Amino acid sequence: MTLDTVRGMARDILEHQTADGVLGLAGDEDGVAPRVFDKADALAALVLEPKWVLAKIALSVLVQTPESYRLAVVCRGCDERALVELGKRHRLDPGRLHMIGVACSAAQAQRCLCRRPWPSRVDAGEKAAGADLSRSDLVRQYLGGERAVRLAKWQEVFSRCIKCYGCRNACPVCHCESCKLEDRVWTAPGEIAPDMLTFHLVRAMHVADACVACGACQEACPVGIPLMLLQLPLRNALQRSYQYDAGTEAERLSPLLANYIDAPAQEIALPDWTDSIEETSWDLIS
Amino acid sequence: MGPDFVKTICPYCGTGCGLILTVRDGRVVGCQPDRGHPVSKGTLCIKGWSAGEFIHHPDRLTTPLLKKGGRFVDISWDEAIDVLVGRLGEVAERHGAGAVGGLCSARCTNEENYLFQKLIRRGFGSNNVDHCARLCHGPTVAAMGRALGSGAMTNSLADFANTDFILAVGSNAAETFPVAMGEIYRAREKGARLVVIDPRTTEMARNADLHLTLRPGTDIPLFNGMMHHLLANGLADQTFIDQRTEGLAALAAHLDDWAPERAATVCGVAPELIRQVAEDYARAPAAMIVFCMGITQHVCGTANVFAVCNLALMCGQVGRPQAGICPLRGQCNVQGACDMGGLPNVLPGYQKVDDDRVRARFEAQWGGSLPAEPGLTVTAAMAAAESPIRAAYIMGENPVMSDPDQRHTIEFLKRLDFLVVQDIFPTDTTRLADLVLPAACFAEKEGTFTNTERRVQRLRKAVDPPGDARDDLTILCRVGQALGLDFSYADSAAVMDEIASLTPSYGGIRYGRLNAGGLQWPCPDTNHPGTAVLHQEQFARGRGLFVVPDYQPPREMPDERYPLVLITGRMFCHYHTGTMTRRSPSLQREVDRPFVEVNPQDAQGRGICDGDRIRVETRRGAIMTTARVVPKVAAGTVFAAFHFNEAPADALTNNALDPVSEVPEFKACAAQIVREATCPNP
Repeated sequence: MTLDTVRGMARDILEHQTADGVLGLAGDEDGVAPRVFDKADALAALVLEPKWVLAKIALSVLVQTPESYRLAVVCRGCDERALVELGKRHRLDPGRLHMIGVACSAAQAQRCLCRRPWPSRVDAGEKAAGADLSRSDLVRQYLGGERAVRLAKWQEVFSRCIKCYGCRNACPVCHCESCKLEDRVWTAPGEIAPDMLTFHLVRAMHVADACVACGACQEACPVGIPLMLLQLPLRNALQRSYQYDAGTEAERLSPLLANYIDAPAQEIALPDWTDSIEETSWDLIS
Repeated sequence: MGPDFVKTICPYCGTGCGLILTVRDGRVVGCQPDRGHPVSKGTLCIKGWSAGEFIHHPDRLTTPLLKKGGRFVDISWDEAIDVLVGRLGEVAERHGAGAVGGLCSARCTNEENYLFQKLIRRGFGSNNVDHCARLCHGPTVAAMGRALGSGAMTNSLADFANTDFILAVGSNAAETFPVAMGEIYRAREKGARLVVIDPRTTEMARNADLHLTLRPGTDIPLFNGMMHHLLANGLADQTFIDQRTEGLAALAAHLDDWAPERAATVCGVAPELIRQVAEDYARAPAAMIVFCMGITQHVCGTANVFAVCNLALMCGQVGRPQAGICPLRGQCNVQGACDMGGLPNVLPGYQKVDDDRVRARFEAQWGGSLPAEPGLTVTAAMAAAESPIRAAYIMGENPVMSDPDQRHTIEFLKRLDFLVVQDIFPTDTTRLADLVLPAACFAEKEGTFTNTERRVQRLRKAVDPPGDARDDLTILCRVGQALGLDFSYADSAAVMDEIASLTPSYGGIRYGRLNAGGLQWPCPDTNHPGTAVLHQEQFARGRGLFVVPDYQPPREMPDERYPLVLITGRMFCHYHTGTMTRRSPSLQREVDRPFVEVNPQDAQGRGICDGDRIRVETRRGAIMTTARVVPKVAAGTVFAAFHFNEAPADALTNNALDPVSEVPEFKACAAQIVREATCPNP
């Protein structure tokens, strides 16, 4: 039924020329792939599974088409938040986008460790409960417990890294003009595994306040590094200190882009947890 | 107005990952992983992510080229086909059919390889058709074929994730099959143990539970020591041996002499470690062996693979899900090129050319006689003092950069009366050709690749080839028709229909069935779902055969003049002879110049610092390169990747051949290194 609703909306959009194309997934006998539907009669092929982050593809379509081209996107909550974030950062013109909001199932939310598995406007599907992170073994292993044990765990997974750059390539909100991971000041080219601090943590910090927890980085990792869990404490810190959740407020800039002297009205203040991060690690993720 | 997204298969290693190419205005503008792909499940390595970068490179060959007066001039396709057929025909007429040889390609499709071998066999009456499996898994095809009845990987890549124990021998899958390695990490997370046998501390070894650093080329003593221990202590799987195997008595007698203590003196691995690994492997509920070039590229390569098979048979660790013997095939379609009969002794489906009944069947369908004598392997043809080969047709190979002893290879190719090379880029081999034909790359054609786990998958055409370049299938059909053969196929699907009619293991493969996940052979009929695990009820040959492996130390041992052992191989961000990866900016940004890895101890003794210019010398030649001083190579060994034509590793390598498979010993030759200058830009 969710699928019929989405197909119906996509049909309306194309028939009324609300947008020039609808970006979604197409499924046929060859399997599933992203597709820009520009004819209503092709929409029988539109599918919603598997979960496939489309925000980065939407960005590339907008970049490669004239400014008059308007694109509708079948959006999960994470897609929408990523597109909002890209709009705020002037990477795309939100006026060219039309979102068809689809809510994820509770099972999908748990798989993604997603606490907000719905877009701001749900056009199709039912809002399901967000994931309960305290139930996740992965979260406990990598973010809970003894610091030394956690560190060993992270070092072990990072040592598998083969520098495919998939985490960066797949990330919808990764946006530097020139990538620091390619700068030999930080990371020696041609050598694996890359350094944990100057490669993985630099990447994590670069998207810290833009990360919408879509999980595309982790899904693209061939060696199973739980990259989303690296972002989680950063996201939680922003949430706790600034009540900021990337991609949820189209008008509000990231607190890392604002500053607390010029913008006291926004209650920007120095975070209170920086000194005590080690003691309260579990607190930051729960 | 929106772009198209074309699902296809990665053109690099044999994992067979799914790619989605973004196409806009006839150009590939993006490349991303296929989330729904059964093997890669939405992941890629650095090469896969960059697979779109070379497609529109300005160096692409766009028109047929004929060498006139030492220079290449553009010619038409009509003239090119006339020259090719005329000159090859002339040589065959003057010197006999055996004077013509062909190299097909592990980078071309099944359909193209099938047509290529059919062309050489039917069109020129020669079985001299071979390809670069002769440089890699030839010993695997020979040894597993004899011991088990099939030379292919016994299980599926997905089996790794649920196995209990993984023994990797001479494989650096972490760099060379990164996506397959992901499955091994999944297994480790579930509690499986990974043991790596390798003289180098590779990425795979670094991430293992245990790393056995054996001396180069001593795999058989190590395996013998393990098996001696298992037999002596009643740890072999006697039920499996009784019910499913034969020939243990002869092997057991041979193993009498190989107590772990003696094995240890040869291979350099402590006897207690030999015992422990043997026991862990034997006792694991399910165990997989992964092996690769580290054991096949030796003068005893075939015997090395026998040793691997012996261990698996002795422990009953084969013929079940999650238990098997897994050669990782290095190129996108090297499995398929072998399957299609791109070998001098077999027709498609490994059916022997010297079997009259087999030939009769092919002759009936192909409408003409076929030569009965097996042809020459490429390595034997090149090594021969007076090679009978006088003209060659090379499709998508670059032997100057890939075959051992480069000077010898170049001399051989220069001596030919006629050389035609069909490729997508100018290479060190096209330079020596009389005629160069411009071909289409993976993104410009339809067809199928067969990955390392025998999965036949469809390539999809995303864009047109540049200029006058044509896909290999079209070129081969034109050549075949010019030779008067019935090479009129509507498309690649029609070729697959013919393949299926002649190749029992591909009998049920039809394009219409290859949607989404492809099919794993054997797939004998059109209702068959394909086969994930081989040898489940019985081995393809009936009983699994124990074969006594004949241990040979490396042909060239270190001596006073050449005190080091040179090992060659590949690295994570380049691929083989570099024709594609070295034209991909993202990969060049990682590594844009050659290097040789040297152990700190060997470097110190010679005054070599990291980054210094060094000369590497063997009895065949010398190269100038940069030293990377790293402990990952053991003292006494140096490692060179073979991707760099400005310092070709194969100028150094030895063309000593494994007597059974005629695969060269790339993994050990005697070398010396000398400091030339300090690092130019530290």
